[in-house]
Amino acid sequence: MKNNIKVQRAIHNLTQADLAKKIGVSRQTINAMEKNKYVPSTVLSLKIAKLFKKPVEDIFFLEDNEIKHN
Amino acid sequence: MQTNYLLPNKYKILGWVLFIIGIISGFKIVFSDYEYEPIKAKVLSIFNEGFLGSTEMEYFKIIETGISSELASIAIIIGGLIIGFSKEKVEDEFIYKLRKDSLVWAILFNYLVLIITIIFIYDLTFFHVLVYNMFTPLLFFIIRFNFLKLKSRSHEE
Repeated sequence: MKNNIKVQRAIHNLTQADLAKKIGVSRQTINAMEKNKYVPSTVLSLKIAKLFKKPVEDIFFLEDNEIKHN
Repeated sequence: MQTNYLLPNKYKILGWVLFIIGIISGFKIVFSDYEYEPIKAKVLSIFNEGFLGSTEMEYFKIIETGISSELASIAIIIGGLIIGFSKEKVEDEFIYKLRKDSLVWAILFNYLVLIITIIFIYDLTFFHVLVYNMFTPLLFFIIRFNFLKLKSRSHEE
């Protein structure tokens, strides 16, 4: 799964630490998500989407090889 | 992230203190060839067959013996458990995953090392391997967990 958290962060002018604090996770978590090293739980994805006031699908996307399995 | 088996973050320091005291006194005992015995006490021995079965089996007997190696072992184990299983300052699902992954890695790595030592180390020297192996799963877990935490902290954009 990919995401554009980094872009959203830039739009809202937030640092990784700011975003982490707002949704109550560690900065490592934001960092790992942005580098696509960690797939967040549904709860965390929804929290991030809610903070950026966007549908989850606008922030998180399946990668091509993940779609093929459907 | 709901976790009910983690201690509060403030216990982490206690864990490190116990762990380090245990390791230092442990090495002191090992390097004295288990001769260093400052503390003696009467203890309950549930069963004892002597050294490699040299005497008859004895059950539930109070014996007097040095207990410094026991105390050091318990300090290392309790300290290590507290370090590994107390909360981080910010405890979330990613940290939880790192902890789990580190545990899996530590068990696999520990037994890989043990297999190698079983094949290549013999006689009484292997006894030393077994002594260290009481603590290496915890040690590998703590090293791996802190390494992963540190690695994911670096490289801010």
